[in-house]
Amino acid sequence: MGTTFTRRSFVKTAVALGAAIVTASGTHRLVEADGAYADPDTDTSAVTIVPTVCRACIAQCTVLASVRDGRVINLEGNPEGPMSQGAMCAKGLSGIQALYNPNRNKYPMVRVGERGGNEWKRLSWDDATDQIADKLMDAYNKYGPEAVFASTGGGGNPHISGPIRFMNSFGSPNNFEPGCAQCYLPRQTQARLVFGGGKDDNLSIADSNVLEFYFTDSQVQSCVLWGAGPSWSGPSMTGRAMAALRDRDQGLKTVVIDPRFTADASKADVWLPLRPGTDVALMMCWIKYIIDNVLYDADFDQKWTNLPFLVDPDTKYCLHADVIGGSSDDYVVWDDNTGSVQALPFPYDDALDAALFGTYEVNGKQCPTGYQVLKDACDEYTLDKAAEICWLDADRIEQAIHIYADAEYSTLIHGLATDQFPNSAQAALAALELECMMGHIEKPGAALQRFGCFAEENGKGAGIIPNDTFGMGCLQALITYDMLEKRLGSNEHKGFLNWQMAHIPTVLEAITTGKPYKPRIWLERSGNKLAAVGNAKSWYNALPEIDLVVHSYMYPTSFTIEAADYILPMREWLECPKPVLLMNKVFPRQEVTHLWETCDETLMWSRLAAKCAERGHDGCRRAFIKSEVAPGKSKKIGNFEVGIEDGYPWAHSEDELVGLFYNECGDYNPDIPTFDDLVEKYAETGYEWATIDEWRQYGFYKATDPSTGKPHGFGTVSGRVEPYSEITTRLGRTGFPFALCEDGCVEDLTPSSVDYEPVPYYMEPYENPADGSDYPLVMTEGRVPIYHHGTLRNVPYLREIMPTAEIWVNPKDADEYGIADGKWVKVSSRRGETYARAVVTSGICTGAVYQERFWNPELLDKNTGKNLNGSWMAENVNVLTKNDAPFSDVYGTYTLRGFQVKVEQVDGNPYDVWTEPTDFQPWMPLTGDDIAPTVEEADPWASIPSEEAE
Amino acid sequence: MPHNAIVVNLNLCTGCMSCEIACKQENGVSLGQYWNKVFRVGPQGTFPDIKQYWLPTMCQQCENAPCVEVCPTGASYRDENNVVLINHEVCIGCKYCMMACPYGVRSWNTDEKVVEKCTLCPQLTTLGKKPACVHNCASQCRYYGDLDDPDSDASKVLARFNESDIHVLKDEGNHPSTHYILSEKIGTWEMGD
Repeated sequence: MGTTFTRRSFVKTAVALGAAIVTASGTHRLVEADGAYADPDTDTSAVTIVPTVCRACIAQCTVLASVRDGRVINLEGNPEGPMSQGAMCAKGLSGIQALYNPNRNKYPMVRVGERGGNEWKRLSWDDATDQIADKLMDAYNKYGPEAVFASTGGGGNPHISGPIRFMNSFGSPNNFEPGCAQCYLPRQTQARLVFGGGKDDNLSIADSNVLEFYFTDSQVQSCVLWGAGPSWSGPSMTGRAMAALRDRDQGLKTVVIDPRFTADASKADVWLPLRPGTDVALMMCWIKYIIDNVLYDADFDQKWTNLPFLVDPDTKYCLHADVIGGSSDDYVVWDDNTGSVQALPFPYDDALDAALFGTYEVNGKQCPTGYQVLKDACDEYTLDKAAEICWLDADRIEQAIHIYADAEYSTLIHGLATDQFPNSAQAALAALELECMMGHIEKPGAALQRFGCFAEENGKGAGIIPNDTFGMGCLQALITYDMLEKRLGSNEHKGFLNWQMAHIPTVLEAITTGKPYKPRIWLERSGNKLAAVGNAKSWYNALPEIDLVVHSYMYPTSFTIEAADYILPMREWLECPKPVLLMNKVFPRQEVTHLWETCDETLMWSRLAAKCAERGHDGCRRAFIKSEVAPGKSKKIGNFEVGIEDGYPWAHSEDELVGLFYNECGDYNPDIPTFDDLVEKYAETGYEWATIDEWRQYGFYKATDPSTGKPHGFGTVSGRVEPYSEITTRLGRTGFPFALCEDGCVEDLTPSSVDYEPVPYYMEPYENPADGSDYPLVMTEGRVPIYHHGTLRNVPYLREIMPTAEIWVNPKDADEYGIADGKWVKVSSRRGETYARAVVTSGICTGAVYQERFWNPELLDKNTGKNLNGSWMAENVNVLTKNDAPFSDVYGTYTLRGFQVKVEQVDGNPYDVWTEPTDFQPWMPLTGDDIAPTVEEADPWASIPSEEAE
Repeated sequence: MPHNAIVVNLNLCTGCMSCEIACKQENGVSLGQYWNKVFRVGPQGTFPDIKQYWLPTMCQQCENAPCVEVCPTGASYRDENNVVLINHEVCIGCKYCMMACPYGVRSWNTDEKVVEKCTLCPQLTTLGKKPACVHNCASQCRYYGDLDDPDSDASKVLARFNESDIHVLKDEGNHPSTHYILSEKIGTWEMGD
C-alpha cells in the first residue's frame, strides 16, 4: 500500500477542523473544511501551478503557487528565480495563512461609537471614499493642504511611493515612514552621494543590493557584516546566497559586528559583540588603522576618489582649479612629482602624482587633502580607545580588520543597525569611506557594483519600473517650492529630501502644538503604527488631537482599533500583480487570487485622488494627466544626475497600473510588449532581458563612455567616488542635490541650523551605561527569521514557533538581576514599560539586552484581552524607545537602539497573551462560504480624464 | 532496496524555521504537532568565544526501528521502499512507538487519535520531487536521497566531508539513517554518535 500514499491519505483531519472563531469584530465563524489540503485521491479537480513572486518581506523570492478551484492550496519556491533559486522561507510559506486569515479586512468599514470601541459598519468603496474625500476637501478648504498627512511602512506588500504620490498630488508635504530615517534612508542616501550609483547600488544586502553575492563563482574571499544579518533578514534570498558562498571549497571568511550572536555570527571567523550604539567609534578606528598601516588601495584612491583633492578649510568644499587659473571643472591636488599645486582634470592626468595626505599652501591658505581631513578626524580612535568605547578586545578588532583588509577580494556589507541611532549619517559615510579606501568599487567580490549598465548601454533594458524604493516616480512635478520649505523637519534634516518624507518627531510636535501648523487628518497605510514608531505612547497620547484617521491594511491592528475612523481593506501579496526585476530577469508577480473587496494599495491612493479631483482639487486632477507630471526637467551637474524623474500619472484601473509599472517594456523587448505577454510566456522562467554575462560586468567606471570618449566615471559631481563628502555639507546648506520641485532642482533652501560634516564623527549614545541611572542595561534590537517588521503576528504556524517577545540576557547579567531563563520579565525605560520572556544566553554581550518588535493581535479581541491597549503595550519594545532629541543632523534619526533599560523578573503572564500552540487555532485559514468572491463595481475613475481636454 | 534518508548540513543551517513551516504546510500538520522540529544547540563556550548551531529533527529512519518492533498492530511498519511509516487505519493510539522512539520525533494527532511522523513526503518523491523541507530549505542545506547510491544528493554531500564532520543522533543499536554534517569550527556535536 505504500506506493499509493498521498499527502493526507492517513490524516484526513482538517487544518482547522471545527474551530470556532471569534474575530476582532466578532462576526466570523470558521466552517468545517480541509482548507488547503484536498486529497488528490478523492478530489479530481485540476491543480494549476501559478508562478508568482513573494512579497512577505522586502526580499522577492520566486514562488510556485498551487491553485485548485480558485483557492491557493500550496506554496513552494520556484527554482528559476536567480536570487532565491527555489528556496522559500517561513514568512513566504505563511502566505496562505495570511491570505485566508479570518481577521482579514474584507470590506471598507466606518467606525460606529467611540474610538477604541471596535464597532464597525460596512460601507461600499464608493461610499467610503466619497465620505473620506469630503472630509479631505473640507480640511483642504478650511486649513490648507498641510492639514492632511500620510504615512506608510515596510511590511505587508507596500509600494512605498503611493502615499508620497498622493501627498504630492494633494499639495501636502508631509508623509512619513517609521523606517526611513531609522532604516535605509541614511545608508541609501549616503551611497548615492558618495558612490553615485543607482538608487539600489549601496551596501545594504537586505535591500536587494550586493548582487555580487548571488554568484558562487564570485572571487570574494572575505566580508564584513556590519550590523547586517542576511541569514535572518531574508533567509531564502540573502540567507541562501550567504550559505552558498560559505559552502564553496574556499568558504567565506567573515567578520560579524553585532551585539547579538546572530545566525551569521555563528558562522563567522570573528564576532565583535560591540556595545549598541558605538559603531562609528569602531569604524573610525578601522579607518585610522588602515591609514596608519597603509592597507588602503593607494592607486585607486589617487585616481578614482576625491581623497587627494585639496580642501578649503573655511568652506569645507574641495578647491576647483579656477582658483589657480585653471578650469572650474577641474579640481586641485598637490603633485609630488613637481612639488607644486596642480589642476586635476577628469579622469586623471598621468603626469601627476597626486598626494593623498598632507596640507599644502594654495593662494596663501593652508589646504589639506580630503584624505588628511579624514585622517585627522579619526586620529584619536586607536585600537585601545575603540576597544574601551565599544567593550571589545583590541587584538580581536585588529584581527577583524586584517580579515577585511588583507584579502584581495573583500567587501563590507552594512546593515540596518546603525540607522537606528543619531550617529546614523556618520556610520553610513564611514562604511562607504572604508570601501572607497580599499578600492572595493565595481571590482570582483565587492558590494558596490553597477551591474546592468553595460547591457543598458548596448540598448538592452528590463523595461520595467524596477523594485527600488521610489520606482514609480513620485509626481515631483506637482511639488511646489513652498511645500519643500514647509515639510516638517526636512529642512533641518535635509537627507529626508531624497525620500520626500517628513521627520516623525517634528510631525508629532506639530500635531500636539499646532506649530508651525496643525496636521489634522491622517491617511495611514501600514500595519501597526503603535508597534512601529519610537516611543509609541507619545503617539497614542496625541490621537485625540487628530480629527480623522483612515487606516488601510490587510487586517486590523492596534492602530485600527485605537485610532481609525475608516478601514480600507488592502490586498495580500498573493492578490497583487506587478512585474518584478530580479537581476537580469523580469518575473511577473501574479494576481493568484483576489478575495472580498480588497484593493491594491496604489489603486487605493488613486481612488482617493480621483475623488478629490471630482471635488475640484486641481493637483489631483493634474496627477492623472501624463503631460502634467512628466516635464523631464532633469539636468547633470558634473556626473551627478539631478532633476525630476519622468513622472507616471495615476492609474485608472488595475490593468493600467500594471501597465505603468511595465511602462517601457515593449520598447526594449518587442517579444513581451504587455504584462500579459510576460505572464503568458515567461511566468515561470522569467524573461531574460540581458544574458547573465552581458549583465554582470565589473568596472563600468573605467569603460569608455561613447558620448564623451572618456571613462564613465561615477555618478557624482566630480565623477570620482567621493568619500570626502563635501556634497553632504552642500546638502545641509542648500538642499542640493535632492531639493526637487516644479522648478527643477533648487539650491536655495533655508540652511540647516548645523553644518553637516564631510567626514564622520562619533556621538556617544545620549543615554549610556555611564549615566549612573536606574537603567543599567543597553537595549538593542534586530530581526528574527520568521517575522518581517510588525507583520505575521497573526499567522498560527509562526506564532506557535515564537508566541511571545523574547529578551536576551547574558548569563552574567541574569545572575546580577535575578533573571531566570524562560521567565516573564518587565522591561522599563525612561519612556515606559513592557514585558517579554527571558532567554538567558551568552549570545548577547554583557551589559546589553536584545528584544525584537512585537504586538499581540489576540488582545484586540474584546473577549480575551484585559484591555485594548494591551495589544500594543504588552510586549512592544517601542514603548521603551526614544523619539526625542538628539537626532541625526543629516537624517533626523532618533534612538531605537543604544538606550538604557532595566529588567525585572515578574510572576505569570502579565497580559495573558497566547503562549500555547493551540491558542492560535482561531486564526487558521478561512474556507468555503466564509470567502466571498470579489464583486465587480462601477469604474471609480469614470469621470477622471487622462489627457488634457482639447 | 533503496536507503532513502535526509542529510542536513548544519554548517549552513541558520535556524530560519523554513523547514518546519514547509513540512506543516505540505502535510497539514496541526498546531502543537511536529513532524519536523528545529532546536537551537548552544551557545557552547564562554562569551565571547561561543559557538551555536541548529538541529532540525525528524524521523531518523532507523535501520533497526524500535517503533516497528514495539507496535502491537503493525501500524508502524517498513514499506517496500525501506521507509518507516505509520498506517493510520491500523494504529490504535497505544503510543508504545512514541515511548520506544529514542528521539521523540513522533507526534500525537489529537483529532485522529493516532501517531504521526515524517514520511519523507512520498507524495512528492514518487513524482521525482524532493520532500518539502528539502525543496524549500532557505539555506539549501537539506539533502534527500539513497545513501547507497553514490550519485544521490545525500551521498554526494556526505562524500565532501571527513568522517569526523559526519554525525548521527545517539545510536543505541537502532542505526539512524539521518545524517548531520557539523564541523568543529561551527559547533561541537552534542548528541552522541
